[in-house]
Amino acid sequence: MERDVAEDKAWSTSAETTWCPGCGNFGILAALRQALIAARLDPWQVVIVGGIGQAGKVAQYAGANFLHGLHGRAIPHALGVKFANPELKVIAVGGDGDMYGEGGNHLLHAFRRNPDIVCLAHNNGVYGLTKGQAAPTSSLRFTTKHREAGTHMPPFNPLAAGLAMGGSFIARGFAGDQKHLSRLIGEALEHRGFGFIDILQPCVTYNHVNTAEWYRKRVYDLELESHNPLDADVARARILEWPAPGDDVEIPIGVFYRSRRPAYETCGRPGQAITGLEFDAGVVKKAMEEFR
Amino acid sequence: MSELSIVITGRAGQGLQVISRTLGRMLVRAGYYVFVTQDVMSRIRGGHNFARVRVSSGPVAADGDKAQVLVALDPALVARHLPDLAEDAVVVTEAPAELPAGMNAVVIPLADLAREHGEDPVMANAAAVGATLALLGLELDGTEEMFENQFAHKGNEVVKRNVAAVRAGFRAVEDDHKRCCSHRLGTPAHGLGHDPKLPGSFGHVPRHVLISGSEAIALGAIAAGVRVVTGYPMSPATPIVAYCFGHAQEAGLIVEQPEDEVSAANLAIGAAFAGARAMVCTAGGGFCLMNEALSLDGMTEVPLVLCVGMRPGPATGMATRTAQADVLFSIYAGHGEFPRAVLTPADAGQAFLAAQEAFRIAWKYQTPVFILFDQFMADSLWTVEEDDLRTENRQGRQERQASEPMEAYSYRRYKPTESGVSPMLVPGTPEQLVYADSDEHTEEGHITESAATRDLMVNKRNSKLHGIRQELGEVKVEAEVEAETLVFCFGSTRGVVAEAVARLQKKGHKVAMVHLRYVWPFPAEAVAGLVTKGKKVVTVEQNHTGQLAQLLLQEWGLRVDGIVRRYDGRPFTVGEVESELEKMMGVGNG
Repeated sequence: MERDVAEDKAWSTSAETTWCPGCGNFGILAALRQALIAARLDPWQVVIVGGIGQAGKVAQYAGANFLHGLHGRAIPHALGVKFANPELKVIAVGGDGDMYGEGGNHLLHAFRRNPDIVCLAHNNGVYGLTKGQAAPTSSLRFTTKHREAGTHMPPFNPLAAGLAMGGSFIARGFAGDQKHLSRLIGEALEHRGFGFIDILQPCVTYNHVNTAEWYRKRVYDLELESHNPLDADVARARILEWPAPGDDVEIPIGVFYRSRRPAYETCGRPGQAITGLEFDAGVVKKAMEEFR
Repeated sequence: MSELSIVITGRAGQGLQVISRTLGRMLVRAGYYVFVTQDVMSRIRGGHNFARVRVSSGPVAADGDKAQVLVALDPALVARHLPDLAEDAVVVTEAPAELPAGMNAVVIPLADLAREHGEDPVMANAAAVGATLALLGLELDGTEEMFENQFAHKGNEVVKRNVAAVRAGFRAVEDDHKRCCSHRLGTPAHGLGHDPKLPGSFGHVPRHVLISGSEAIALGAIAAGVRVVTGYPMSPATPIVAYCFGHAQEAGLIVEQPEDEVSAANLAIGAAFAGARAMVCTAGGGFCLMNEALSLDGMTEVPLVLCVGMRPGPATGMATRTAQADVLFSIYAGHGEFPRAVLTPADAGQAFLAAQEAFRIAWKYQTPVFILFDQFMADSLWTVEEDDLRTENRQGRQERQASEPMEAYSYRRYKPTESGVSPMLVPGTPEQLVYADSDEHTEEGHITESAATRDLMVNKRNSKLHGIRQELGEVKVEAEVEAETLVFCFGSTRGVVAEAVARLQKKGHKVAMVHLRYVWPFPAEAVAGLVTKGKKVVTVEQNHTGQLAQLLLQEWGLRVDGIVRRYDGRPFTVGEVESELEKMMGVGNG
């Protein structure tokens, strides 16, 4: 059955959004809903796991099952859900502080593990909910009211880290291009493995450098450049184009790299829901023999 | 009652844990109660490790005093153990050793025998088992069967070589040293009471098992239907995860060693939220890293079992040794206020039951439950009657909301009820949505800052403690006499305290033990009922600050008359507890 996004009442929620007017999160939420509807998923078949921050609130607003947990811990929560019930579509959502700062270790190992989870990292280069501190992705010398001298570290490149750790789906989207982003999320949903998307997102309140206009002038779609996402060397070169110092940069968006690897929860695992309450008492009886 | 103790000493890597277990199981098969403790250094090779095996025709749950037999896999270690040996002890060793008069050396080329019969010098430990059994006057019936049970997964060849090495060691003593040992056990007249009419080794089927505390926790969790087990390696919790890894296939488990403890705890929460029974295993230091997750678990009302092993801290402390110093920490860990239960099983038998109780309470009350144990309980081997390891019948237990017809998309995860427990659904239920929210939330599970809803939810969550208290049940005085002094303890000290108290009772002291198999919710009312006016109260605990004594004061306003403490990382001995208690009771109290 075909469903019209605007008319789909199932994908709505009574929760009131608390984002700033003009926030990039609205575009990301809309793109996510479009992708879920296009994938013909019902809300009850989907679990959205959110971190803490403005991005993590997507979990509350998307209209699916959710676990709105802790700052940085969306990936372990998502992995646990997937272990319990591989039939669920699981999406981990967080900001750059969530995924690249507090939860960085989980992200690195998620690339290695390759669970069948979609990971959306809203990257606005600044901490919003705590009122404007630098993020791991803030550019070098990015100044904040807390740190007028600016940051002293180059920004984290999550895509490069993903490629180095053996990631199987490495992409970047832009909140200002909803149609493109929705298609990317759709591809990540179809991908059997860790579908990672770094999403460029302006912060209207705290990031006055990387504005929507700034991004719009610089992003270009990899697909229009006949990029081959199966070639890791080509992918690496594209990934290293940005972040880069200076204002005179171009920022590629789209799928940089993809590969086929078994999803983690299918590696020597039951591969089906283990949520049942039945139990075979014979297992314990047999195990007891070892102690005689 | 016939009884003796055997010390087996060697270097890390010489297979001491295998040999002490093998010998222990042979002795259980022969009809004896056995208790094995491990003293292990935190290193991979070398050093000085030893195991103590106490053998008795009556139940034993504590280490013995002087040992009658020393088995030294490295002759250089003999001298270190001389103070722990009885005057007429026998020392089994490879090379002649200087011994005090009265002691006897049995020199056997263990490594040569191992090479010749077991095709591997490491089988010296198996040869030593054979030699020890021969010295004690026991037989080798059932050896094959036992090794088949133990090493089936390693293949026939390993079983064969082990059996050959045991036999070689046994023969070496039979041939040359038969009368060297005055400590003969023979077949016990009473002992474990196997049925001699049934076929099996020694003419009977062993109804008792020799099992470690960690194995009992793991097996209890399996009996409780655990499906996801997580843990980041840390002593003393590692063996629980290792056991689960080894049995993942047949028990249908997912066992995961994630990148860190933070992930281990949160992964388990994710799995439990989605409907799988989940358990996370760690030690004090790792548990520190899980505090944030614990708090989330209390807020989201996700059922979760945490196995937390205690070892001496702070920080890395003494990695392979024992303590009971994380009791208050477990009770208060995690920011904010939420209910929890903290179970403190005494031994392998209680641990098996506690694991099932933990899952029952966690899933009934949708909140975290701890199995708080220590290195001593986890690593020791306990003789348990198999019938005592009962698997709870879970039939008819209401863990989820029945799938009665419900209007589509109308489910409310945090619906208030009288008990504070909301009917639970899991995500994936057709046409219903399940929310778990770390923020203060509405009945539905959406973020809220409403003052009224906040009060409602705080009250709802914390009211669950009442039900948990009812569920955990009674606390009683063990071996009730007209006691003037009550000795309180919890967790693994039960065996030692029970034996010390029994000795004091024999001497005429009016003393009894109260063991707490859970410390939270603190059984204040039950305790108040036991301690009538004029009674002295003493605690025995393996920490410096007297954490149980603090709980007694805080939860029930009682200042104890004394605390017997030990915090050097070694378990209490019966003798020291006995003499400390005797001092506290004062002369003439008996």
